[in-house]
Amino acid sequence: MDGTVTKVNPATAPRDARIRVSSLTFAYARRPVLQDVSFGLESGAIGLLGPNGSGKTTLLRCLLGQVPLPAGKVEVAGLDMASQARRARARLGWMPERGGVIPGMSGVGLVAYLGELSGLPSRDAMQRAHEVLHYVGLADERYRKCEDYSQGMKQRLKLAQALVHDPAWLFLDEPTSGLDPRGRVAILELIRDLAWNKGLGVILSTHLLADVESVCREILVLREGRLLARQDVDGNAREPRQVFEVEGFGDEDAFAAGLQRLEAQVTHQNRLWLVTLDLDRLGHPEKDEQGGYRAEVGTGAILEIAAETGFALRRLRRRPVTLAEEFYHLVEG
Amino acid sequence: MPVYDRGYTHWQPSEGKSLPAWLIITGRGVIEPLKRRWLLLLILMAWVPAIVKGGIIYFKLKAGNLTDLLGGGWSSIGPDGFLSFLEGQRFFVFALLAIVGAGLIAADRRDNGLSLYFSRPLSLIDYLGGKAGIVLFFYCLVTLLPVWVLCLLAYLIAPGATGLEMLLVIPLRATVYCLLSGTSIALVLLAFSSLGKRSIFVMVWWAIMITGTEAVAAIGEGLGSHSLQALNFLGQYHNLGSVVFGTPARLDVSLFVSLAMVLGWTVLAVWVLRRQVRPVEVVS
Repeated sequence: MDGTVTKVNPATAPRDARIRVSSLTFAYARRPVLQDVSFGLESGAIGLLGPNGSGKTTLLRCLLGQVPLPAGKVEVAGLDMASQARRARARLGWMPERGGVIPGMSGVGLVAYLGELSGLPSRDAMQRAHEVLHYVGLADERYRKCEDYSQGMKQRLKLAQALVHDPAWLFLDEPTSGLDPRGRVAILELIRDLAWNKGLGVILSTHLLADVESVCREILVLREGRLLARQDVDGNAREPRQVFEVEGFGDEDAFAAGLQRLEAQVTHQNRLWLVTLDLDRLGHPEKDEQGGYRAEVGTGAILEIAAETGFALRRLRRRPVTLAEEFYHLVEG
Repeated sequence: MPVYDRGYTHWQPSEGKSLPAWLIITGRGVIEPLKRRWLLLLILMAWVPAIVKGGIIYFKLKAGNLTDLLGGGWSSIGPDGFLSFLEGQRFFVFALLAIVGAGLIAADRRDNGLSLYFSRPLSLIDYLGGKAGIVLFFYCLVTLLPVWVLCLLAYLIAPGATGLEMLLVIPLRATVYCLLSGTSIALVLLAFSSLGKRSIFVMVWWAIMITGTEAVAAIGEGLGSHSLQALNFLGQYHNLGSVVFGTPARLDVSLFVSLAMVLGWTVLAVWVLRRQVRPVEVVS
């Protein structure tokens, strides 16, 4: 899947592909959908999370300039979407959740057609259509009518049409919707390859947290039209309060007293100790390149206490906080 | 390197030039229906009257019977004859446009195609212009093109007798008439298409618009009321066509009324299209 030839089109090479959204407010028929949303994106894979009706798709449509922007400002690649949306859309790829194929056309015909509409000369569009259909794994099916495609093939086709004009950003709305596990993994691999290896910016809107975890480095969380949080997918590593799972045997009272000296909070789940430590209280903890706390800071302190009190450890690790836990914590307060 | 070994590559633009978006939409929309054999058969049938008229013109000109041909009636080569010919094509116009045009926007709405179109650097005018171009192409295919061919035929057979009239005047009048009426009809049909998501319903409404209004006008005529003729959809275009071709009015309706009717539903169609054709459906 990794291409060895990288042709860089000066028209669509990374240059300035930043997205800037400031104080964006939007309503459908007087019903507020987005309220005072502001953020900036440089590149990479960003997950757009939120419960149903939180405004994810509307935010993508605002970024595409498909809806009028009554309040706030959206800039994509330095172009104001209120006045230059058409120019900006030449650098954006859109994969809608629902529909998105034009019946009666072959796969390659559809992708080439949409490539031409994106401004590619006819011959280029046809060549690109073949290339991207090969890339998404539809090479053998490209001459079949779109309406005969399976759901998985339609999703791949929609990804291909979003890629045909080599956009700087890909906006994907529920790209794994309706796919079986194998199809889902395949689509996510493609998206991951595009974002991590091919330099495309990707905004992945979904309510499937596992999809975001496998592709994205950063998430934007929306609730009721407001931007609730923006953080790294492994953002829990940046929090000073972390939970460690401890299991062992020996003098439990002495061990517990030792943990008290670290000002730890301890709860028990059967034989498992859940020790919550504030790593900032342990002196000047070492951090990794992304600014996250290294797990050794906490495990080292617990090991010392265990050694002092003769408590034999069978298990000691930092408890991973899943994106799901983080998400529900954010959304449900 | 074979294409399948390359993975994803960035686009390297070539020297080629891209076409206007509306032309790309029209081109694709014209090619796809022409792949259907029965549609080709319908188009062929729509040309039968032109072939018959061509035969009559040929034999009369060869026989030197020019007086007959310059008179009125369907078979003549005067302006009245060509306007009558265009009137006579109304069944084929109705049927062909119903088949080709009913789903043009309805299908895009049903399959969320509008969202795809408007994720491209495309304006509403590009989109509607492209779709109207498809309707206009098929309209002209069974109206304007046969007139041009017949005029050319008449000129080639008897250049001296037919002269500039056949070479320039009639083709020009027909072009003006067909482009104006075709554009208006295309917008009305597209407005119908934008109101539904299923082609069959659009066809029903289109049938009511064409044959229903004609039937109402005919019933009114039978009852001695000429005012109902103002409802005849295609009749108004033919009535206005009499101005373009310089012939007597076709209906007992004032030309101003016909003009007002045509302008009225064209403006209404544009209003509907502006409301309905959006990448996002607003459900309030």
